[in-house]
Amino acid sequence: MYFHSVLSPQSLVPLLIAATMPPLAAFLVIFVFMRRRPLLSAWLSIGSVAVSLVCSLVLLGLNLEMTGPIQYSVRLLASSGLDIPFGFLLDPLNLLMIVVVSAVCFLVQVYSLGYMAGDPGFSRYYSFMSLFAWAMLNLTLSPTILQLYIFWELVGLTSYLLIGFWYEKFSATQAGKKAFVMTRAGDAAFFIGFLLLFLHTGNLSITDLNSRAVSAALPPSFLTLSALLIFGGIVGKSAQFPLLTWLPDAMEGPTPVSALLHSATMVAAGVYLFARLFPFLRMSPTAMEVFLAIGTISMLLSSTMAIVSRDIKKVWAYSTISQLGFMIMALGAGGYFAGVFHLTAHAGFKSLLFLCSGVFIHRYGTNDVYELGRLGSRRMIVPTVTIILAAAALSGFPPLSGYFSKEAVMASLAELPNPAWLVAGLAGVFLTAYYSFRLIFILVLPRAANSSGKLDPAPVSHNADIGEAGHESHYWVMAWPLLILTAVTVILGFFQNPLKNFLQPGLMAGGAAEGGPFAWSHVAALGLAVAGAVLAWVEFGRSGAKQIGFVEKIPPLFRLFSERWYIDHFYGLLVNLVVDRGISYLCYQNDNKVIDRSIDELAEGTVEGGRIVAFLQSGMIQYRLLVIFAVMVLLAIYFFFPVI
Amino acid sequence: MHIDPAKFPCLSAILVSCAVGMLIIMLIPQERKRLMKQVSVFFSGITLLLTLYVFFAYDKGMGGLQFVENVQWIPSLGINYFNAVDGFSAPNLLLTGIVFFTGVLTMWELETRVKEYFALYFLLVTGVFGLFMSMDLFFIFVWYDVSLFPMYLLIAVWGTTRKEYGAMKLTLYLLAGSALILPAIIFLWAKSGLNTFSFVSLMQPGLFSPGAQKFAFLLLFLGFGILAGVWPLHTWSPVGHVAAPTGVSMVHAGVLMKIGAFGVIRVAIMLCPVGWIYWAQLMAVLAATGIIYGALAGLRQTDLKYVIGYSSVSHMGVVGLGLSTVTVEGLNGAVFQMFAHGVMTALLFSSVGYIYDRTHTKLIPELGGLSRIMPVASAFFIVAAFAGMGVPGLANFWGELLVFIAAFRTYPVLGVIAVLALVVTALFMLRVVQRTFYGPENERYARLPDMSLSLGIPRIILAGVLLILGLYPSFLFDVIRTASVPFMSGLLR
Repeated sequence: MYFHSVLSPQSLVPLLIAATMPPLAAFLVIFVFMRRRPLLSAWLSIGSVAVSLVCSLVLLGLNLEMTGPIQYSVRLLASSGLDIPFGFLLDPLNLLMIVVVSAVCFLVQVYSLGYMAGDPGFSRYYSFMSLFAWAMLNLTLSPTILQLYIFWELVGLTSYLLIGFWYEKFSATQAGKKAFVMTRAGDAAFFIGFLLLFLHTGNLSITDLNSRAVSAALPPSFLTLSALLIFGGIVGKSAQFPLLTWLPDAMEGPTPVSALLHSATMVAAGVYLFARLFPFLRMSPTAMEVFLAIGTISMLLSSTMAIVSRDIKKVWAYSTISQLGFMIMALGAGGYFAGVFHLTAHAGFKSLLFLCSGVFIHRYGTNDVYELGRLGSRRMIVPTVTIILAAAALSGFPPLSGYFSKEAVMASLAELPNPAWLVAGLAGVFLTAYYSFRLIFILVLPRAANSSGKLDPAPVSHNADIGEAGHESHYWVMAWPLLILTAVTVILGFFQNPLKNFLQPGLMAGGAAEGGPFAWSHVAALGLAVAGAVLAWVEFGRSGAKQIGFVEKIPPLFRLFSERWYIDHFYGLLVNLVVDRGISYLCYQNDNKVIDRSIDELAEGTVEGGRIVAFLQSGMIQYRLLVIFAVMVLLAIYFFFPVI
Repeated sequence: MHIDPAKFPCLSAILVSCAVGMLIIMLIPQERKRLMKQVSVFFSGITLLLTLYVFFAYDKGMGGLQFVENVQWIPSLGINYFNAVDGFSAPNLLLTGIVFFTGVLTMWELETRVKEYFALYFLLVTGVFGLFMSMDLFFIFVWYDVSLFPMYLLIAVWGTTRKEYGAMKLTLYLLAGSALILPAIIFLWAKSGLNTFSFVSLMQPGLFSPGAQKFAFLLLFLGFGILAGVWPLHTWSPVGHVAAPTGVSMVHAGVLMKIGAFGVIRVAIMLCPVGWIYWAQLMAVLAATGIIYGALAGLRQTDLKYVIGYSSVSHMGVVGLGLSTVTVEGLNGAVFQMFAHGVMTALLFSSVGYIYDRTHTKLIPELGGLSRIMPVASAFFIVAAFAGMGVPGLANFWGELLVFIAAFRTYPVLGVIAVLALVVTALFMLRVVQRTFYGPENERYARLPDMSLSLGIPRIILAGVLLILGLYPSFLFDVIRTASVPFMSGLLR
C-alpha cells in the first residue's frame, strides 16, 4: 500500500483542521456560553478531543510509511521582508506526538468527569482543558519555530490557569504565578535565541534549520549561542535545573491536570522541542555537552528530592523532572530514538501514576502517602494494582514499557566516551526504583502512625459533600482510563522496533545510527533497579520495617533534600530582595522622589515666585509712589550719564 | 438624493457627528439624563460606523492619501482645512471610534452632571479625531489643544483620587508639550519658504536642511513625546489615569497617548527624517528605559489604576522602541502596538471602572476574591491583563513581536533588555490579578452584582477586538503597510 505517495499536503488539510480545531471551538463555546451547563460543556469538550484523537489516528494510519516530512502553510502576516506563515508540518515525530497528546487528553478528560464532579468551576475546567488540547496539538504540528513559540506560550497560559484553578486557595494562585513567571524567564531566552537565528538566517522553518546547509553556514560560536538560548526555553518548560522548582508547586492544581499537563504532555513539550530541533542542536558539540550536564543534574537533584517527600503528588512531580532529565540526557548523548521513546512511554505510565493517585486523593482527601496507606487505600483494587504496575514501569522492570525505554536511554549513554554520564544515569535508575517502591510499600503495607510532618489536607474540599454513592459511581468513571493506560504501559515496550523504524526518517539524512545495546549496561541498569526496589523493601516493605528511609537518618542531608537543595530560597531572595526591595523600590522611589518631585518643585517654585512678585502689588499708595520715584531717579541717572 | 460614496466627505462627517452630538446633548434639559445617554450612544455609534467604513473602505491596493478633503482656510498663511487618511491614521481613527463608543457605554451609570460630562467628552473626542485626520500642521496644533482642555475639566470635576492635582499636572505637562510643538511648527513653516502648512507640500525630500531637521525633530519629539509618555516625561500619565473618571481614563490611555506617538510619526518623523535617524539612538535608549522602568515601578503600586498607568508607560515604551529602529517592521509594530495597547488599556480601565463603582475602592489590598463574586467582570480584566503580558492569541503579541524583531536587528542590547522586561511585566500583571481577583471571597463585597449583559457590551467589543486581531493581525498590518513601506523606501532612496 503506497498511500503516502499520492497524499498531497492539500489533501491532508481538512483532516488536520478536523484534528486541531474542534478543541478551540469547544473552548470558545464553553467559555462564553456554558458557564451554567457543566455536563453539556464536559461532553462538548470530550467530544471535541475525541474527534481530534480519531483524526490523529487516521493521520498516523495514512502516513505509516511516510518518506519525508509533509509541509503546508499559508501566509498569516507579511510586513515586507518579514513573512509569518502559518501551517503544519507532518513527520513521524509529531504524528506520534499528536496521537500521544490527544489520547492522554481524551483519557484525562473522561477521568475528570469523576474527579471534578460537583466542582463549581466544572465548565471553566473543561473550557481550559479544551484550550490546552488545542494549543498542545498545534504546538506539535508547527512548521516554524515562531508558530511553535506562539502555542508554546499558550500552553504555558493554560498551565497557569489550571494550576491556579482553585483560585481561592492562596498557595494555588501562588503556584500558578510562579509557574508562569519561571517558564517566562526560560521563554525569554528561547525568544532571544530564535530571533537571533532569524536575523542570521532569515528563516525560522524547522525543516530548513535542521538541514545541514543552514547550520553549516553559521559560525560555530553563534550556533552554540543560539542553541543554548533555545535550550533556555526547554529548561523552563521541562522544569530542568535551574528552573525546576515550579513543577512540584504546580501540583496545587487538580490531579488530572497534573497528569495531563505536568507530566505527560506540556512539560514534555520541552523535550519535544529538543527532538524537533535535534539535527540542528546537535551541530554544536559544546551545547550538547551542556544539555547533557543539565539533564544529568536535574535528574539527580530531583531524584533526591523524591526520596524524602511524603506528598504522593510531589513524589511523582520530582520523578517527572528526573525522567525528563533522562530524556534530555538521552537526546544530549545523541540518542534521538531513546529520548523520544522514553517520552512516549513516560507519558503513559506517568499519567497513569497521577491518575491512580488522584483516585486515592479524591477518596480520602489527603496527599500524604502515610495517611493514605493508613486509611486503607489498598482496598481500592483497580488503582492499587495499576499504580504498582506503573511504578514498576517507572523503575524499569520488564516487560513494561519503562524497561525498554530506559534501556534505550542507557544504551545511548553507554555510547559516550566519558563513562561518568552512564554512571550518573545508573545512579538515577537506582534512585528511581528506590523512591517508586518506597512509595508503593508505604501505600500498600501501612505501619503504625508515622505522623511527623503531616501534610495539609489535599485541595479537593469541593467534593466533601458527595456521599459514598457518588464516590462509587465516580470510581468507575475514573477506573477505566486507568485500565487503558495500564494496557498501553504493558504493551508499548514490544513495539520498540516498529516505532524505531517509523521514527528513523525523522532524523533526516546523516543521522547517527543508534548504537547497539551494550550488554553490560543492560544488566547493570536492571540490577540497580532491582537493588533500589530491594532497599525500599528492606526499609519500608518487610515486616518490622520502621518505614524510615536511610536519608532520614542523616538529618543534614534530609533537610537539604526536603528543602529542595534551597533552590527555592534562592529564588525567593532574588525576587524579594533584588527585584522587589532592590530595583523596583529604586524605580518607585526615583519616580516619586526624583522625577515627580522635581516637577512638583518646579511648579511650586513658580507659584512661590508669583507670590513674591505679587507682594509688590500690595495696593498701598505709598509704596507705589515710592516705586515711581525710584524708577524716575534711575531713569534720570540713565539719561544723564549714558556711559553707565 | 443619491450620494456618491466617493464624494461623500466621510472624515468631516465624523467630526460633524461628534460636534452635532455635543450640541444636541447641550440642548437637552438637565433632568433628562437617560435621553442624554441615548443621544450619546447614538452619535458615538454613528461615529464608530463611519470610522469602520473609512477603515474598511480604505483601498489597500492603492495606498497613499484617501478620503481627501481639501479646502482653503486662510490663504494668506497657507492654512488649509485638509483632511485625509493614510495607513498610519486609519488604524488610529478606528481605535478612537472604538474607544469613544465603548467609553460612552461604560459611563452609562453616570449620574452627576451628565450633560456637561458628555458634552465635554464629545468635544475631547472631536479634537482627537481632528488630529488623526488632519494633513495640515496648523490644524494639528489646533486639534491638539482642543483635545487638551476638556481633559482638564473632565478630570477635575468627575475625577477621584487627588483629582485637582492630577488634572493640573496633566494640563501643565501637555501645555509644556504644545509649547515645544508650536515653535517647531512655526520654524518649519518659516524655513520651508513655501507659505504652506500642508503636509503634502512640506514632505518633499530635501526641503529642510539636515541641521533644521535635527533641531525641529528634537522639539517635536519631546513635545509629542510628553503626550506619548516617553520616559522620563511620563509622570503625568499615571497620576492622570488615576484621577480621571473611567470613560476619560479609557480615552486618555487608550487614545490620547496615541496622539503623542502619532504626532511623532506624522510630524516629527515624516517631516524630519534626517532628524529621526540622527536622534534614533536617544529615542531607543529612552524607550527601552521606559519599558523596563515602567514594569519595575508598576511592581510596587497598590492602586489598580496606578498599576495600569505604569504598564502604559512600559507599553508605550515598546511603541517608542519600534519607532526608534528606523525600519519598516519597527514602524509597523509600533503602529500596531498603539492600536493594541489602546484597546487593551481601555478594557482594563473599563473593568476597573465597574469594580470601583461597586466596591468604591481601587486599592488592591482591600480587594481580593472578586472572581467568585463577579466572574464576568473579572474575566474581562484578566483577558486584558493577558493581552498586556503579550500572550499570543491577543493583539498585543504581534505588535511586540514586530518591534522586538526590529529592535534586535538595530539595537541588540536594548532588545534583550526589552525582552527581559516581559518577564517583569508578567510578574506584576499576575500579581495584580492574584491579589485582586483570586483568594477567598471578601465578605464585604459578597452581595455585589456581577456585570449585566448591557454593561458587558462595551467590554465584549473591546475583548473581541483584542481576540480578532490576535488571531488575524493582517487586518491591521495590511493597512499600516500601505503607509510604512512607501515611506521607508522613499527615505532610503
